[in-house]
Parts: sequence; C-alpha cells; structure tokens
Amino acid sequence: MKPQLTLQTPLELPYQEISNYLNKLWISEDKDNSGANTFTLMVWQPAWLEQCLVQKGLVNGPITGNLSPEIIKVAKKFILDQGLPITTSLNSEELLNLLKENLSNEDFEDFRGQFFESSISTLNPRRLITLAPTINKNSDIKTFVSAYCPLSDTQAMQPICGDLVVIRGDSASISNKGLKIIDELSIDELPAWLWWNGSLDESPEIFEYFTNYGLRLIIDTALGSPQRCLKVLDQLNNLNKAINDLNWVRLKNWRESLAMIFDPPSRRPILDHITDIDIDIAGDHMIQALFLISWISDKLGWSFLRVERDTELTKIEFERINGEIISASINPLSLGNPSIHLGQVIGLRLISKISEVQKNNTCVILGCESVECMRLEAGGMADMELIEQVVPNSFSTSEYDVSKLLGSSRGNTSPLFENSIKIALQIFNGLNN
Amino acid sequence: MPSTLSNPLRLGLRQERVISPQCLVIFGASGDLTHRKLIPALFELYLQRRIPSEFGIVGCARRPWTDNEFREKMKVKLSNQISGKEREWEQFSNYLFYEPVDLQQSDHVVRLSRRLNEIDKTQATHGNRTFYLSVSPNFYASGCKALKAAGLLDDPKKSRLVIEKPFGRDYSSAKKLNKIVQSCAEESQIYRIDHYLGKETVQNILVLRFANTIFEPIWNRNYISSVQITSSETVGVEDRAGYYESSGALRDMLQNHMTQMLAVTAMEPPGRFEPEAIRNEKAKVLQASKLANENEPWNCCIRGQYGEGGNISNRLKGYRQEDGVNCNSTTETYIATKIFVDNWRWQGVPFYLRTGKRLPKRLGEIVLTFKDVPVHLFESTIINPVSNQLILRIQPNEGATFKFEVKSPGSGMKSRPVEMEFSYDESFGEPSDEGYVRLLADAMLSDPTLFTRSDEVEAAWKLYTPLIELMDNSPWKLPIYNYESMTWGPPESDQFISKDNIFWRRP
Repeated sequence: MKPQLTLQTPLELPYQEISNYLNKLWISEDKDNSGANTFTLMVWQPAWLEQCLVQKGLVNGPITGNLSPEIIKVAKKFILDQGLPITTSLNSEELLNLLKENLSNEDFEDFRGQFFESSISTLNPRRLITLAPTINKNSDIKTFVSAYCPLSDTQAMQPICGDLVVIRGDSASISNKGLKIIDELSIDELPAWLWWNGSLDESPEIFEYFTNYGLRLIIDTALGSPQRCLKVLDQLNNLNKAINDLNWVRLKNWRESLAMIFDPPSRRPILDHITDIDIDIAGDHMIQALFLISWISDKLGWSFLRVERDTELTKIEFERINGEIISASINPLSLGNPSIHLGQVIGLRLISKISEVQKNNTCVILGCESVECMRLEAGGMADMELIEQVVPNSFSTSEYDVSKLLGSSRGNTSPLFENSIKIALQIFNGLNN
Repeated sequence: MPSTLSNPLRLGLRQERVISPQCLVIFGASGDLTHRKLIPALFELYLQRRIPSEFGIVGCARRPWTDNEFREKMKVKLSNQISGKEREWEQFSNYLFYEPVDLQQSDHVVRLSRRLNEIDKTQATHGNRTFYLSVSPNFYASGCKALKAAGLLDDPKKSRLVIEKPFGRDYSSAKKLNKIVQSCAEESQIYRIDHYLGKETVQNILVLRFANTIFEPIWNRNYISSVQITSSETVGVEDRAGYYESSGALRDMLQNHMTQMLAVTAMEPPGRFEPEAIRNEKAKVLQASKLANENEPWNCCIRGQYGEGGNISNRLKGYRQEDGVNCNSTTETYIATKIFVDNWRWQGVPFYLRTGKRLPKRLGEIVLTFKDVPVHLFESTIINPVSNQLILRIQPNEGATFKFEVKSPGSGMKSRPVEMEFSYDESFGEPSDEGYVRLLADAMLSDPTLFTRSDEVEAAWKLYTPLIELMDNSPWKLPIYNYESMTWGPPESDQFISKDNIFWRRP
C-alpha cells in the first residue's frame, strides 16, 4: 500500500469554489510558506481494473488507484475462471469488457488522489490534481481539496507544503465541468505535468484538452492500441509537444545493456557488420519493440527499406550506408505469466557477420532471463563468438518511473525518443500500407 | 591501442543531471585557474548540454575589463579547446559577463550585487547563485565577510560558496577560517573543493569497494599488510614559486589530495550513498588517523627537494635555481610519511603516503599489498614470491591491476606473478571528465558529496600538526634531503620505508 499523502480527509467542495478556497488557504497560512516552488502534477487515474473488481465485490474497497498484489492475484484468478487464456494481460480490453458486464451503479469509497508513492511526494509537488473517472456512467462531478506537508527524513528547516485536488465523476462530467476548473487551478510560474495513467484509447477529448494546454506529458504507449498510440505520438511530435513515454523509459535497461556490450573499443567493429536482429516480445503489442529497433537503426545510421507481416512475425529491412541489408524481425511470444505492461521486450539477438567462417562472426544475445537467452542461442548461434547477457526486467513501478522523470528531466522529449518515434512511425505505416 | 571513436549506441544515453538556472560568480577571474580549469570545465558542461539556457557566468577581479574583453581573453586562452567548436563557443560566450570587483571594497560588492540583480532579469536566473572564491587564500575570510555584508549569502537555498584549497595553513588557521566562513554561511552552503575527489578513478574506489562483495571482506588488517599512496609529478614548480615557497609539498598535496585518497581508501561503508553519510565516514577515518609515531614525528616523515637533473639535451634546474625561489629555500618538494589508522579495521596497517615534484613519472596510485601466504608450498621463479597487490591507478592510464601468483608453465610446480588488468580506456574507450567538470556541476546542483566538510579539513590538518610544528620550530629535525630531478625522491625515502621491510612500488 502506498503511503497516504494527507493526514486529514480531503474536504468536499463544489467545483466552482475550489480555486477560491485554495487561494485563501495559502494566504491565511504562514506568510513565509506560500507552498513548494516546484511543479503541478495532474494525473488521469482511471484504475478501471480496481474499480471493476471492487464493484463486483471481488476485492474490498476503498478504491485507491494502487495496483496492489491482491488486485493482481484476484484479476488473474478471474481470467482463469472466465476461461480466458492464461496469457491474457491485466490491461487487456477483453478482460476489462468482461469485468464491466453487469456492474451495479453503487458508489464505493474512493480514495484516489490521496495515495502516492514517496518517490513522488518527496519531490514536493506544489499541486497534485487527480482526475478520477468513475466506472459508473451517471456519476456527477465531485471535487475534494486538501493541503499536505510531506515529512522528510532529512533535516529540513520547514516542511514544504503543497495541496491536492481530486476531481471525480464520470468521464462526461469531468469533460464538461471538471476541465473548467483546471484553468483556474494552474500556477503560471510553475511547470505543469500531466501523467495520463490510462489507455490512450480512452477519453480522447480530455486527452486532447491537455495536449493543447502546453503541459509536459507523461504517457504509456503499452496502454492503448498501437495505431492510436503511434498516431498520438505523431501528432504530439509534429506539434513539438514535450512527451515522455513510460514504455520508452522501461526500455532503459535494454538500451544500456546493449550499449555496454560495445563500450570496449575492441568490440566496435562488430556494429559495422550486423546482418540480423531479432526481437522477442511478450504478447503482440509491438510498440516497445519498434522503439528498440528504431533506436538501434537511428544510432547506427541505417535507413528503413520495407516491412511485411509473415503470420505473427513482423519482418523489417534496413539498409546500411554502404548498401548492405540488415534483416530485423519482431516475434510475439505468448507468456504464461505476462507482465502487466503489454508487449515488453524479452529478448534481443543481433548477428554480425564479418567473415564467411562462422566462428569468426559474432552473435550478441540479450534476454530477460537465462531461458530466453538459451532460446535465442538455438540454431547454431554457439558456433559464433557469443556475447550473452541477462537484462534484468524493470521492476520499478510506474509511479517510480514518473518520479524519475519529474525529478530529472526538463520535461522535453528526449532526442533519442524523438528520432525513434519517427522511424517507428515509418515502419508502422509501412505495415499498414 | 583502444580506438577513440565513440560507441554510437552510447551517444545520448548518459542521463546527466541538468544544472538549475543560476549565476556562477567567479572571484579571481583574471587568474590562472579561471582560464586553465574553470571556464574549460564550464564550456565542457555546455557541450554536454548540461548548462540551462537560464545561466550566467560572472567573472570578477580587480582588472577593469568589460564583458567583451573578458570574453575575448577567455577565447584566446582557450583557443585549443575551442578549435573546431567555434560556433558553440560563440553561443557559450553569451553567458560570460564581467564585473570589476575588489572584495576588500564594500562598495564594489554592493555594485556587484546590483549587477547580479540585473543579470538575474536578463538571464532569468531567479537569484540562484554560486560564488567561487578562486582568489588568494589570504582573502577567503574577508571575501566571505564581504559577500555576507552585501546580503549575497543570506538565502541558504539560493546561494552557495565554493572555496579552493588550501583551506588554512595549519590546524588552528583552518579552524579559525572555518569559524569565519560558517559565520557568513551555513555549512550546507559551503563547498570546499579538492579536485582530486572529482576524478572518476577516485570515485571508483567507492564503487569498487562497496558495489562488489569480493573486496570488502579482505579490505582490512586481517588481509592487508600495507597501503602505499603515491602522487608524483614530472613538472617542477613552474610559475607557482610565489605560492609554493610558502606551502611546500605537505600543504600543497599531502594534507588535501593525498589525505582525501587515504580517507576514501580507509573509510567504513556508509549506511546510504548520501552526502552526509559519506562525509561522516571520511571524517571518522581521518579523526582516527595519526602519524606512525606522534612522539617522534621526525621518524615518520622524509622531506626532499629536487636538485638539478635531466640529461645533456634537457638539463633541468634544481628547485633553488628556479625563478622566484629563495636560493636557500628549505621548502620541501617531496614528502613521504607513514600513518596509522587507529581503528578496528586498520590497526597496525601502515599507510605510506608520498608525493613529489620532478619525479620520473606523472601518476597517482593506491597500492594495497596483501599479507603473505602462511606457508610457501611452491618455489618461485623469481627469488621470493611476491605478495598479492591491488593497484588502483588514479592517473594516467586509469584503471586497476591485481597481481597474483600462478603456476609457471613447465613440468615443475613453480609459481610466478601475473597481472590482471582493468583499464578505463579498454573498457569504455572514452576519456573521463576533468575533476573540475564534475565538481563545478555538483556544487551548482547543491550536491556536497565530493566536497570536504569542515571537520574533515580540520582532522586532516590535525593529522599533520606534529610535522608542521616540527618544521616551524625545529626544522633541523626534519631535514630536507636533496634528490636529483627525475628520480624517485631522496635515497633516504627508500631507507625510511625499507626499515619496515617494505619497498616503494616502482610504477
């Protein structure tokens, strides 16, 4: 369970009064403490899975927005009970649609917006605004407000305080009424972030509202259909909007591990003779794999040539500056215990042919576990010079990844990511043409 | 020879911390350090895209330069670094400003304060400032007082003070200076710089020790018989005679750089990788350190001074013949000392520290010699088996070497030593940043981890107090031995250590 940010229960106020209340709150408080001079963080927090499970009585409330081990356990049992394949992801639309059937309109205690991991709260957000859409379609808007002062374990002269606002209601009421107060709640002199902690397929009008708002965006392209995700990325990129994608952030270990292999100068020539790249992913959501292959091709100066689908396999060809062809493939695998994030990379094989003699060539294998490395070794790879490494899965929570972005980035799109988006789009469009 | 080409997959992967908007004010901007180290380091940070657009560098010195003159002078001094990056320099130079300031004149500091307010507006630096005292140590105290009087250090969150070495001349002066500086700014605002701590390889000692399980269990008196820390320079006093005559090797190198290396090598693991936790451990180890024989300090130190040397084609002057040096000077250019760290981990393990100018090689290294095996089962191919050694190379050819015995090929069972190598060049192929790049960035990021705290500085001075007192009061007890330039110090230094049946490593 994440720590509760506020010691007091947030005060429910009519949405028209929130802004005034907060202004007065900071004026009436200690004159020297006008709140943390940090940033505003808005969070789109649907927590559909948790809401459905609580509504169905499969887990006890209240709703917190926290994907707890209990929720994961119950949801996995539900998948099996309903006869869905064991490979079904917790974020799959199929699962959610099943859970949404025959739900009551009953309201449950909802504490979303009050629980944040300490990785975020220690950054002292000046204002935390949580948009909490309800699964109940007839839920009018309710707004709550509270001040908070995170206690630090290091010596501080004075606690640095912030406030939090929760805007709860069905998507329509959030869209019609909730967004109206966002303008009033903005603090001009501070940077503002939006963390869209849900699928990019949902509530496009609300998402679009925020993208036009000049916020620094944090999204997760593992959530939502690949078409929609890439379309969103394309639009945002063309509009020069600052984008941070958690699906890209989770590739960090893969990028780092691959780069690490080629840090010793003696290994650099291998990069000039790569002929094949194979990427295994869990499930069929291919965006993360597209980002990985796009990053490699961008860094090594390859041009995209063509792409085709061969049953489940996606085959891509690139051309090196000297005209040599590089064949790449993205291979979706069904895993019995899939990650909660769709389409995560689980293996990468890279073959570099420097000579006709097999043993003089090199095969680089990165796998999320040694079994995957062994799988990729099959087919005579061991005849080559073999460089293998297990890439540890990223076990960090989304909140932790978000806190890293909030704490370290200026919010602009990483140039590596920007270039990868362009190439990923080329490949994806080639697939659909 | 490793390739110097960059790893293409590495480009853009390093996620360096970005410095927050601020103004860096350099006092002593017309001095050597500014154009030799500080501005090149800032330019490097700019090339690494770590300098925000809301930034300013304000050079301050007595000379009546304008902004443009300062920019031009820096451009000329840095011409080698700028070559090929002229466009970047043009953009970077927009951050450079200059204000003539004499820190002794209060109206000058008030004028500077007004100028900084103006720059705050044009550069959007939000009143966030780092003041770098690159002035003569004589002006540290008055400089701090002047900044305090002008209210420039009032906000502990928005102002930082970086002070160059040497911090004091001895224990009492360091203590006095600490008191003055701390009356002007909070300790959290004060960054006492020791550029050795900015070196990648010095920081790597922490990683090597505390990120691996294999070293820590043997990093103690049970397995280590002695530690040697060497920092040698090939150059002589060059154009620093004025400063060096009053400092010597003890104050210039031993009390700060060498002692910091000792602290990093001998400290206990911190509970967390946090500035105060690390500095606590360093301070503790320095407080536990003492000269091998405090009652007879003359027996735990050797001083030397370089004489003439070189060869026919390149004759080198002796120290006393150098420009600006007193022809009867008794300033040491070489010092070797023996220290014990009085704690559970290091009881009885001698730490030998040596540093000098005009030695045959420029290098910095730490050598941990392990205890001999209890029984020699195998005959050695050389006269005696060599004890295991771990050599941490700080510079050049940064890396580490582990020396151990293996079976010599052949039908017998003879052993011989071999070396296992780790080289930064071969593993990473990229040069590491200059110490100042790291430390300037850290100070501007308010990260004090690699800066020395007041108690560390005082403990380091206290450690050498018996020697300093001896040098001041009875210098004949600590004579200066002459050594030929480009040799490894006076022969007495070899005798000093050989009494313990130990020899200086010949790198």
